[in-house]
Parts: sequence; C-alpha cells; structure tokens
Amino acid sequence: MAAQLYKTESGRLFHAGAIAIIMVGLPARGKTHISRALCRYLCWLGVKTKAFHVGHYRRKLIRHTVSHDFFDPANTATADVRLEAANACLEAVMEYLLEGGQVGIYDGSNATRDRRQYVLNRFRKENIQVVFVESICNDPKIVEANIRSVKASSKDVRAIMTRTEAAITDFQKRIQVSEPHYQAIDDDSLSYIKLINVDQQIIVNDVQGFLPSRIVFYLMNLHTAPRTVYFARNGESTQENLYKADAPLSKDGHKYAQRLQQVIAQRRKKRVALDDGGDSVLKIWTSTQQYSYSTAEYFSSCPVRYRRSLQDINPGVVDGMSAKEIQDKYPHEFEQHLKDPYRHRYPRGESYHDLAVRLEPVILELEHEKQDVLIIAHESVLRCLYAYFRGLQPEQIIPSLAMPRNTLLEITPSAYGIKENKIGIPLSD
Amino acid sequence: MPYVIGSSVQLACIMVGLPARGKTYIAQKASRYLQWIGIPTRVFNVGQYRRKLAGAHQDHSFFDPTNAEAVKQRLQCAFEALGDMIKWFKEDKGIVGFYDATNSTVARREVIRKRLEAQGIQVMFIESMCDDESLVLSNITQVKRNSPDYAGEVDPETVIDDFRARIAHYETVYETITEDDATFVKMLNVGSRVIINRIQGYLQSRVVYYLMNLHITPRSIFFSRHGESLYNITGKLGGDSDLSPRGLKYAEALPGLIAKHMDGQKLTVWTSTLRRTIQTGQYLPYPKLQWKALDELDAGVCDGLTYEEVEDQYPEDFALRDDDKFNYRYRGGESYRDVVLRLEPVIMELERQHNILIVSHQAVLRCIYAYYLNYTPDELPYIKIPLHTVLKLTPRAYGCDVELYKFDIEAVDTYRANPKRPSSLRRLGSQRRSTSSPTMAGQPPALRRNQLNSGVISSPQTLVCVTPPTEEVTQVSTPMAQSPLLQPQTSANGPRSASSPTSPLLRPSTNLLPKLALEQAHQKAENMNASAPPSPQLSVSTKTSKVPPVDIVNGVGVTPLKPPFSFTFSDAPDSATDRLEKESSSSDEGPSESNGGINGVSASPVMTTTAIPTIATRQPSPLLPLTDGNE
Repeated sequence: MAAQLYKTESGRLFHAGAIAIIMVGLPARGKTHISRALCRYLCWLGVKTKAFHVGHYRRKLIRHTVSHDFFDPANTATADVRLEAANACLEAVMEYLLEGGQVGIYDGSNATRDRRQYVLNRFRKENIQVVFVESICNDPKIVEANIRSVKASSKDVRAIMTRTEAAITDFQKRIQVSEPHYQAIDDDSLSYIKLINVDQQIIVNDVQGFLPSRIVFYLMNLHTAPRTVYFARNGESTQENLYKADAPLSKDGHKYAQRLQQVIAQRRKKRVALDDGGDSVLKIWTSTQQYSYSTAEYFSSCPVRYRRSLQDINPGVVDGMSAKEIQDKYPHEFEQHLKDPYRHRYPRGESYHDLAVRLEPVILELEHEKQDVLIIAHESVLRCLYAYFRGLQPEQIIPSLAMPRNTLLEITPSAYGIKENKIGIPLSD
Repeated sequence: MPYVIGSSVQLACIMVGLPARGKTYIAQKASRYLQWIGIPTRVFNVGQYRRKLAGAHQDHSFFDPTNAEAVKQRLQCAFEALGDMIKWFKEDKGIVGFYDATNSTVARREVIRKRLEAQGIQVMFIESMCDDESLVLSNITQVKRNSPDYAGEVDPETVIDDFRARIAHYETVYETITEDDATFVKMLNVGSRVIINRIQGYLQSRVVYYLMNLHITPRSIFFSRHGESLYNITGKLGGDSDLSPRGLKYAEALPGLIAKHMDGQKLTVWTSTLRRTIQTGQYLPYPKLQWKALDELDAGVCDGLTYEEVEDQYPEDFALRDDDKFNYRYRGGESYRDVVLRLEPVIMELERQHNILIVSHQAVLRCIYAYYLNYTPDELPYIKIPLHTVLKLTPRAYGCDVELYKFDIEAVDTYRANPKRPSSLRRLGSQRRSTSSPTMAGQPPALRRNQLNSGVISSPQTLVCVTPPTEEVTQVSTPMAQSPLLQPQTSANGPRSASSPTSPLLRPSTNLLPKLALEQAHQKAENMNASAPPSPQLSVSTKTSKVPPVDIVNGVGVTPLKPPFSFTFSDAPDSATDRLEKESSSSDEGPSESNGGINGVSASPVMTTTAIPTIATRQPSPLLPLTDGNE
C-alpha cells in the first residue's frame, strides 16, 4: 500500500508532478473535512501538501461578519468580493505548487461549469495535473448532521451569532440560495472523483497516476461515523532493550496489562454514561511480538488481531546498545542519526520513515474501522500513528514524541481535528 | 496461546458483463492476488460447467435466448456453479469466491444475491463494460486463442462471426447494473471510469483498489539478484556485505543485456537498501529507486551465520524451518509470510507500472515470482533463483511469459534444498501434481541450471511458458506445470498431462488439503503445549509457542500455523490441450494471427518480447483477454 517517499531534488515525489485537487460542492457537504483529511494523510506520507480554504481568504477581505444573503449567487453586489476571494485562494494554490509543493487542495465550492473550466485552464497552463473531488449529498440527514457538527462551530457562523439554532437557520438559508445555481460535474473529459453521500457511491472518472489513485483508495475508506481509537504501550518485557530477544512480559508487565484492561473498561463505562460512545465492540490490534500480544491477554471478550506491521522499529546493528555504546562503535552513524533522526537508518535497521511506510496499510484500515480500536504497540509505532491523527509534520516531531508507558491515549477524530484525552494507568493502587 | 477471533467475512464477487469484456481475466487476476496475500480464494467459472454439460463446441444458437432447451441447460449450469460456491464457503471456509459468468439480467442477479445473502455471505458485483469498439474487437480476435469453445476451429473468420453472433444474443437481454441498493463496481473501458457503490468493509475496498490499478499495456519486468557478495562466498546468511569481484563483473555486464532488451524504452530500476543490490545496479543508466520493502528476509539472530552454524547453534529452529519454511519466523527476524505481506505494496505498484528491473534478493524475488507464476506457499521458499541470471517476465492476459538469461560469470550456488522436501511434497501435493505432471511428483520446484541453459550468455535461453493446459488440468495444475523455473521440458514437449477423468469441479484431492494442514497444525500445537520449556535455550517450545498466529490479512482470520492452501485454478481456466501442444511445440512461431495488425503490435514470436513496443496507457490492446464465462 505504501507510497514511495523518495524525493527527487525538486522536493517532489519520484514519479509524480504537481497536482491540484479542486473541491466541488454545496455548503455543508463535508468539503473541508475531506480536504483536511486528505491533507493530513498525504503530509504523513511525506508528500508536500497544503489545503487552501476560500473562506479564509474571504475573511481576509471582509473583516466584518456576513449573513446568508452575502453568499446568494444572485446577489450581484457581493459577487465581486466573492470572486476576489475565490481567485485569491486559487492564486495561493498556484503559487504553492509552482514553488515546490506537490499537492495543493483548493477548498471552495466551484459550483459552476464555467468556474471549473476557468480553474482547469489556469492550472493546465502551468502543466499542473487537475483532479476534481465533488461531494454530493442528497440525503437530508447527512446534510443536517454536517451542519450541526461542523458548521455550528465554524468561524463564519459563529462570528455572526452566538445562539446555535439561529446560526444553523442562517446556514440553511445559505444552502438554499446556493442550490438553484449549483451544477454538478457532468463533463466526462474531466478527471474527477465524485462522492455521493460520503461513501455510498464513488464515481472515478479518468483518474490516473500514483498519488491520485492513492487518494481514491483513501477516500474509499474515509467516513464520518463517530468512534474512538486508544493507544497503549506494550507491557514491560524481561529483556526490554533487546529487539531480537522477543522476550515475554515481566512481572510488572503483567501488572500493567491487568491495569490497562481495568482502566479502559472503566473509561468506556463512563463514556456510555455520558452518552459519548464507548458502547461498541472494542477491537484490539497488537504486534506479533510476545510482549505486545501478551498485554492483550486480559481482555477476555475482545477480538484481537496480531499484525506484523505493528512490530517495533528495527534498531538493526545497534540493537541492545546504549547511546554511549553506539557513539563509540558507530560514531559516524550516530552523528548522522542526530542530524536526521526521522530519516536516518542504522545499518540493517529501519528509520522512522521506513516505519511510517510500513504502517500505512494500518492507517487506512484504521480510517475504515467504525468500531473502537485499541492499539497495543511499541512507542515508535505509537508515535507514527499518533502523528498521523494529529496531522503533525512527521520529520520534525515523530522521533521525539513522548509516549509514556503509564498513559493511555484516547483519540476521537472529528471534522476539524481530534479530541484527545490522556488517562493515567497507575501500577499501584 | 491467544486465539484469533477474526471477523469471518466471506465475500462473493459476482462478475457481470457481455462476453469478451475481460471478466475471466479480472476474476483470475484478483483471485491470484488474494491468494498470494494469504486469503483463500477461488473462481467458479460457469462456462466450464456448461462445457461439461453440453459440450464445448456449441455454435452461437446455443446462446440464443429463444432457444428454450439451451436456456434450460445454461440455467442448470449457473445454479450448479452457484451451489458449489456456496458449498465451498460453508464447508471449506473460503473467504473470497468469484462467480464468473455474464449474469446479464437484473432478475438473475437478484436471485444470486438473495441466495448468497441468506447464507450470510457478502455480495459484490463487478461489472466490466466496453463501449470502445476497437477494444471489443481486439478481445474478440483473442477468442480463438483462449476459448476452448473454439478449439480446433481453423478459420478465424468463422470464429469471429460466430462469437459476434453470440455477443449479439446476450445484448438483446443485457441490463447494466442499476440496483442502487447493491454493492457494485462498474468499470468502463478497463478502468478509465469506475463507479463504486456501497462498498462495505476493508476487504471489499482492497479488492476494488487492486482492480483499479490493473492495466493491460504490454510491458516487461526484469528480476535479478544482486551480484555475488562476499557473504555468498563464505556461505553466510543476511548481512550487508559488498559485492565480490565476480559480483562486480556481473554489475558491469548487466547494463548491456538490459539495454539490448529495452531498445530505448523507458525503464526504472528498483533496488533494496542493501549495499549489494545498490552496487549491482550502479552502472545501469536508468532512474533508480530504493525500497526498504525489497530488503532480504531478516534472519534475526541467525543473521551473519552460515547454515552449518545455524544448525549447530539452533538445531531445533533449523529443523522447524525445514518443516514449514514458509511460516517459519527466524527468532527476532522474519518468515516468508512476513516478507509476502511487506511486499504487497511493491506488487501493487508493479501492477501500475510499466517496465521495471528489480534488483533484489533470493527470498524476496521468490515471493514476487510466486505472485506472477502462482506458486503455493508450500513451494515458494524452494524456487531456485540463481545468481548472475536475469529473469524477464512478460505479463500476458492469462499468465506470464518467462525468459532466463544466464551470464557466463561464475558464482557460488546459494540454493539449499530441503532434505525433507520430497516426502512432504508427495504427501501434500501428490494428487495434484501427479495429475498435472507425473514426472514432477516429489521434486522440489527448483530451477535446474543444467536443464535450463548451457550457461552461455550470448544466446539467451528462451523458454515458453504460455499457460493454458487443458480444461481439466487447469483445475489441478500448479505453477509447476506453468513455470519454466521448474520443468522446461514439459512445456516444450507437448501436453503436460493426461486429462483427468473426474470432474474438475469436485476435486477431492484439493479439498482434502486444508483439512490435512489443519490437523497437522493442531497436532503441532498440542505437541508444543505438552513440552514445557525447561530452559530459554530450548528453542522448539519457547520459540514456537511464543510465535502468535500469523498475520491476519484484511480482517480475515486465517488458519494459524499453516498457510491456507491455494485452490488455484491456473491462470488459464479454459483452453484446449491440442492448442497447447501446437503452440508449445512450435513456440518460435507464436500466435501470429492474433497478434498481428491490432494496435500496431508486431506479429513477432511470443517470446521475443523486445519487439513489442510500449503503447501509451489506456490504449486498447490485443492482450485484453477473451472472456468465456458465458452461461
């Protein structure tokens, strides 16, 4: 599954040029959610990606708040400002791509054929590949849910009114005035991906190339159903610092495993009481190493999966060595490692980057999963997965993220980022 | 040992489409991919049932919807195949079944869907459509080549006319999928447009993603191991050593051979991240990529030891490995199964790419080769891929042509046969193998250098591996019958086997296999539990009992300890013995009739693949296979 993340001198991926992703859709169709998720995924893969939101540029132009009639396509008085904002955004994407960005996501409504043709021509002139991503919802329930969960907290709406219901009403009006002017994509000479009611139907038209096909696969697995992901470290083993030993859990390790089970059970009970999820089946994924799958032993009623791809980062020749020993024995490698802890790979070992590539199928399957999942793994693995959910820049952050053993991480993805809780796992009462 | 409580998703992929739309190709290819990653998969081709019931040589009137008697017969076949598939899901715990037929009406599809869903089996329709006339025409011209329905027919015009008439019969009743409440994938003109409806579950999305990556543009894939390394000379495993002087000589000679074959076409070189493959590729004037995933199987604690030292220091491990080399995981290292899983992205990318040269390692190349040539997990670790030899694979509609180029540069032989191998092969596969190739029973699937080539580079050995054996044999044939790495003589000397008199669709022998494996696995597990580890050094019990079940692919529980046996249909489910004989005995002529004229592909012999030009993507190609899953 994994992408090849080997960059050429231009900073772009080996076999792909620049790509502009053009979002298309009425308000409250999850365009921003899709843009952000895609951006997060591609960044994590090591692709230079950035999302540009038209709303952001509009707010730059007019600082005061606007209500739904501002957005009415029939309102000629505001047409100029709207176009100006849209074009400012477009030019920003263009500039980003011309300066070495690989994927630019243009998050606007792009609701008419003329507009899309204009955008297409603009990018084609610079030899930039264009893929349209249209989100269509004809299920009022999904639209309603989108409005409530996302828009009620988005900046436009919040800025006008504080009372949620009023905000929602105004937003619904904004959709109403836009609808009659909306033209869905019907030109099969375009390269496009059409999502109908999130993942109910996906139409892929003439989409070619490595990254675009990755994007399609990712979108196939994306959903907005609420669920929670837990991250926990493996219990302590009897030979902590030796990767090749694959040692069993120590006494403390077993204690930790027991406590982990209790803490999660309590936590989920509490969430059920608060009507905040926690009532689905809890699936557990561990690595194929002993101290990982043994940590799951105390969860008697949960389905457990053992995945080779969740294995610790392979330390290679420095397995079992202290920093001092490494420095003495492999001074050059040690220096290289300090310079680039994300990409440096000790002889025979893996870099964090290698690890990220290996974990990509796990990420996709995790996106797909609609039930709660607990992942029990080594800190190196948890760092990578966590960085994905947080949308962190992998290179700077991952190798130094703190993933303490006495803490359970609870992550609930939502449209505008994630909700995150840290729960202590005390070994003694 | 913890148990796997995997979700027991079972998925039936129902092909939909007019004749000559590549349904069989898609079903076979996806099936091979799924089996390779460890998911028990099988194709049920209704055309085979029809030929059994009504005979092969039916002209188009048999497919006329107004021909009441024939309609009845075709219906009977359709339901027999469906029944067998359900039985396979229930009794053999299959995971993905492909039901390969036209399934051209809403009514038919509804019946099939209801029956399967009543059994708790997920249903996904896969429709292949073509509105590009030239694409369809090139498919039709393949009829004679691939369909047993026209075996022995000499006049191509007759065949084409009859086949067109057959398609016309289907067209009168054909209804494209409009069932919006069903899960389906609709592919137009080989994926130029794809509609994906109501995908449920990760397994389905994986299958769809795979299908979307397929293309039919002709291309070549070259494999080479690294040149001989210093470790090779001393017989050590793993490591990251430099090339030996002879290995360097190989690196210097490699560009010449590749250039001769590429003839100016684009090529990309993939190496591992280890020094010996990078050094081997250093003189190649093409863009290069390093894949961590192409690194050699990690031998864990045994890394840097010789086989003798391993035997000495880890005698139990050494023995265990011979018992089940595919699943044996080195302490702190990897098993072949682990390597297969980490190579999955490489395979996916290979499917998308055009000309590629992979410079990698013995175990890794075995795994990739097994994907293309359809080896079982049992055979895979014993494929012999010698040093200083280039393999050229040319994927075809129904399989793969393979050519071998041995350089005249000496190298050590790193192949280690399994002392236990012959007997275990006989035990597990004798029925299958004896049917397909009596001479091969009990022999390891090893490349025997002296049989294959005389060791001279100047005249590269080309070996015919055009796939299709007889209809019956395909049921039981294994890669051994297909691959030149095994038995060049069989492919060069006519029919590979006598036809099996029994119904290929029942196949008692293969049905027994998974049970046998299971029993063994259980036996093994029991043995393990019985012997408590007295010391951490005793590797048998500690080692095996601490190895949890193998990776579970795609949310699907796979039998622990033992790989699922493949219920492989060969790449070519239908074709005739006589055609095979003809082709293989005159391999240097090739199927010029069908290659000629279309899309500018030259009518050159099958094996001289250098003559096939690279055609831009999405152009119709004569390689789009004929389907014959017609009812």
